[in-house]
Amino acid sequence: MRRGAPVVKPKDMKGTLRRLWSLTKGSRKGLGWILFLSSLTSVSSILSPLLIGNTVSAIDAGKPALRLIGFLAGLYFTDWLVNFLQKFFMASVGQRIILSVRVSLFSAMKKLPLCFFDRHQHGELMSRLTNDVDNISNTLSDSLTMLLTYVFTIVGIFCMMLFLNVFLTLVSLVSVVFIFLFTRIITKRTRKLYRQQQELLGKLDGQVEESISGLSLVKAFGREKQEVTQFESENEKFCEVATRAQIWSGYLMPIMNMLNNLCFVIIAVLSGMMAEKGEIAVGTISSFLLYSRQFSRPFVNIANIYNSFQTAVAGAERILEIFDEQPEPEDAPDAIPLKNPRGEIRFEHVCFSYEPGKPVLKDINLSIPSGTCAAIVGQTGSGKTTLVNLLTRFYDVDSGRILLDGHDLRSYRMSDLRSAFSVVLQDTSLFGVSVRDNISYGGQGVPLDRIRAAASTAGADPFIRRLPQGYDTVLTQEGAELSQGERQLLTIARAVLTDAPILILDEATSSVDTVTEQKIRRAMLAITRGRTSFLIAHRLSTIRNSDIIIVISNGHVEEQGTHRELMALDGKYASMYRTQMGIE
Amino acid sequence: MKLIVSYVRRHIWMFLTAVAFLALEIFSDLMQPSFMASIVDDGVKGKSTGTILRYGAIMLVIAAAGAFGSVMRNIYSSRTSQLVGKEMRGDLYRKVQTLSFENIDRLQPSAIITRITNDVTQVQNFVNGSMRILLKAPITCIGAIALIIIQTPKQIPVLVGVLCISAVLIFFNTKLGYPRYSRMQQKLDRLNGVSREFLSSVRVVKAFGAEKQEQEKFDYAAGGFAKAGVDSDRVSAVFSPLINLTVNFGIVLLLWLSQAQTSRQIGRLMASVNYMTQVLFSLGMVSNILNMAVRALASSGRVKEILEERPAQAVAAHPPEFRPEGAVAFEGVSFAYAGTRRNALDHISFSVQPGETLGIIGPTGSGKSTLVSLVPRFYDATEGKVLLDSHDVTGLSPELLCHAIAIVPQKALLFSGTIAENLRWGDSGASDGELYRAAEDACADEFVRGFPGGYNMDLGEGGVNLSGGQKQRLCIARALLRRPRVLILDDCTSALDAETESEVLNNLRREAAGVTVLLISQRISTVMRADRILCMEDGALRGCGTHRELLDTCPAYRAIYHSQIGSEKDDG
Repeated sequence: MRRGAPVVKPKDMKGTLRRLWSLTKGSRKGLGWILFLSSLTSVSSILSPLLIGNTVSAIDAGKPALRLIGFLAGLYFTDWLVNFLQKFFMASVGQRIILSVRVSLFSAMKKLPLCFFDRHQHGELMSRLTNDVDNISNTLSDSLTMLLTYVFTIVGIFCMMLFLNVFLTLVSLVSVVFIFLFTRIITKRTRKLYRQQQELLGKLDGQVEESISGLSLVKAFGREKQEVTQFESENEKFCEVATRAQIWSGYLMPIMNMLNNLCFVIIAVLSGMMAEKGEIAVGTISSFLLYSRQFSRPFVNIANIYNSFQTAVAGAERILEIFDEQPEPEDAPDAIPLKNPRGEIRFEHVCFSYEPGKPVLKDINLSIPSGTCAAIVGQTGSGKTTLVNLLTRFYDVDSGRILLDGHDLRSYRMSDLRSAFSVVLQDTSLFGVSVRDNISYGGQGVPLDRIRAAASTAGADPFIRRLPQGYDTVLTQEGAELSQGERQLLTIARAVLTDAPILILDEATSSVDTVTEQKIRRAMLAITRGRTSFLIAHRLSTIRNSDIIIVISNGHVEEQGTHRELMALDGKYASMYRTQMGIE
Repeated sequence: MKLIVSYVRRHIWMFLTAVAFLALEIFSDLMQPSFMASIVDDGVKGKSTGTILRYGAIMLVIAAAGAFGSVMRNIYSSRTSQLVGKEMRGDLYRKVQTLSFENIDRLQPSAIITRITNDVTQVQNFVNGSMRILLKAPITCIGAIALIIIQTPKQIPVLVGVLCISAVLIFFNTKLGYPRYSRMQQKLDRLNGVSREFLSSVRVVKAFGAEKQEQEKFDYAAGGFAKAGVDSDRVSAVFSPLINLTVNFGIVLLLWLSQAQTSRQIGRLMASVNYMTQVLFSLGMVSNILNMAVRALASSGRVKEILEERPAQAVAAHPPEFRPEGAVAFEGVSFAYAGTRRNALDHISFSVQPGETLGIIGPTGSGKSTLVSLVPRFYDATEGKVLLDSHDVTGLSPELLCHAIAIVPQKALLFSGTIAENLRWGDSGASDGELYRAAEDACADEFVRGFPGGYNMDLGEGGVNLSGGQKQRLCIARALLRRPRVLILDDCTSALDAETESEVLNNLRREAAGVTVLLISQRISTVMRADRILCMEDGALRGCGTHRELLDTCPAYRAIYHSQIGSEKDDG
């Protein structure tokens, strides 16, 4: 049902890392401190064996060793302190980095146009906000600090080896080349696999989210088994890919270990031969061998870090994808501020399609004078809601233009434009906050009496009063505890409170009983007076008294005029009206 | 922990195989240094290339064995841990499918999502990590301890001291870490909740220009999660260096003690310092995995919560088997939603004969949807009985109920996938012909065929590309395809224009003759042609009868009628 195996595109890793790094801005100072502290810990881990050795030989020689022991104790204590500080700071710096990545990701996401959200499963986007961001942070915090320590060690030991014997040093560099080679081969695989893993995880999240949101239907249709089967198959796929990713990563260390051992033996043999010829002192050889052993270990560790970095990169790629999405167009620099619009609206040759090749609106021309109450009627799927979507700039027209007060909608600032409308959408989303905050959504600090007044206008006051805590009742299940009609009343109250110059009601009262609807209509009449308003409704009784009725059919304006005019025309509207009133 | 063990036990052989290969790996790790020493001491110092080659060959063989062990161990441990994760996820998902709305409402959807995805991963990571250190840490630790006891018995008190303090530290680490990690997961629930809410109401957010408000909510949730993360990370930041410090001071103490002694045994001192470092090493590993373990424990507790959640609805042990006719009856049914005191339904009684169409009408919030949701057992009546063919629905098997009843919900809900896939929810084995037929009856065939791809067009999340009326018609087609005995239409034609609606209803009357229909609507014209009409108000039954009867006897019905038809005639 959901699409097959994910397509994995290899991406520019360096670019990804650079952009990832740019996201850590603001935490760099903290990172600097942590790097400093972790370099201190590496110093103490080098010093302590030396001190122990000295102490033991001092004791052996019968010399007083108290001072050395004291030093050692001091060193351990400092080591503890530094370690503690480093971990302690890392906790907050690491979390701060995640927080800032997460927050900027959300901020980028919320700027995206609606069509983006149409295309993606909610659970999948949630997965990006949580799992993928976490993945970045986990590796970032662990590996960055260690990386530095390893680089220090490598440089130090490399100098020592060069000092001891140049030829053997070059030989041991060969193993480094092999380490690089194998790391590349393996990480190429793991990167792809990690990427797939994260994508499948996102899908899994998507399915879980969808089936929990739609559980009522899953149950009503007895689809539990199919849903489980489908989940199992996604789960299986995820498990398979994740296992393979883990197994491939697991090849790295043993292979490196083998390489190291091989290199050790080769150097031993070579140096043994050199020693036979007397080209090198035995003491030098044993020191060199010990160093060469220490030399390759950090490389192996770096290879390992690089590998686990791939999960971070996979997560980062998925996050950057969101950053790369085209956001809603920015306001033009010369955008016109929109203050107290009169509400005169004109559609000029407006064409629009959600998907190319499937036009929804075809050459719409409309002129709605300021203060008019315009009703839009038409069959389902004829494009009524689309008109609203274009007015509020949820989507932009493909061609033609829409004018508000004589200027193209696109020439206004988006925030000004949207606040010019009070909208009741078909989508009756409520939020998990109090009824009061739901009504005053979008604005803050609205006094209760204004909220009450809005609720009364919307006919919502009576049922709100019956709720356990009245206006302070928290809608814990996003409003699932309310009936569909009650939800609509709340969303109407929300729009009433917004009190914007232009009012749009898209099927606002479809689930409300007609008695309440009439009350609302009467109350709204006072509000809409002098305001431009758009009503979309199927119950023609609701819109009969509108100043102008626009009949849309197949994306065209078929008829327009007042109720009387259209009835006289005896066309589409008249026939719709008659069917509905049961007059035929 | 028990939960984790029970999952691991299912793959005990793989787990043990992994551990066995781990033993090989450890063995090779332990052997390698001695051969390396031999190469230097005997080979290089003895200037014998032959010796170097011989020892070198042995060492490479051992290293190869180690590498082999390591690779195999990884393969088995990866598979085991991923399987554990997969099964846990699967079990959780299956469990969630059995829960009733009451459970889901209480647990919160976003918290369930977090558990299935994130919490399981924590457990999985721990299982994988445990196979890596399970033997290593104890073997090195026990070995070192044993050697200390045998070789330098005088140092036992120091050792005991170190171990005791470490044990205490580990204890407190767990004690402090557990609640913090579970709080962190709770905050993750919250974060998931906020983002889910935003995603599902993105249109409203944009229409009201409330992006800033949503960002603030998100920032707050993300901040809370980050803070909880800092809190739990700091526990390990305090304890793991402390464990190190304890062992290190053990070493210092050893040196100091031997320094004060008169008879010095330097070899033994060296040895015990070495062993102590070994102890340190293994304790370090323990403290590393400890945080993983604490986190996994916290997560497995949360997983267990769901697995042990009792479905609020009991399923009868021996449900009766029969072919449902479609008679529905309510006998003194009252119902209140969990957590509320007000009865949403108050002593409702009525009955519907098979094949009868019952219209249900009433003001907003009068309990119409609640009433019909008791028939397919979305909720159970708190008082009284709901009967299907004179069997209490609570005593019937879910399969029977599900096949007998099809519901078209008020909120048209579709799933991602193609249109055909969505319709086949009604009947997964339906032929194409049946599919088209159902769509035609729901007046959906025409517009579906107009889509690019027709029935195979992929719907976005929740069918966002469709208009409200199109979604409703698809939902009706889906229900029709089921060929139920009882069809519940919950105000599901509200977004249809009148013409389409009456066409759909006419088709229904023709095609679904003999099917019991419960039809909720706001429009008198819609329910008017029903055999009987229920008129509801405030959760109570105000009247029941034909359109005519109600007009005469039921004031509530009359009020609705006048608001729609009467007034038309008055001023029309």
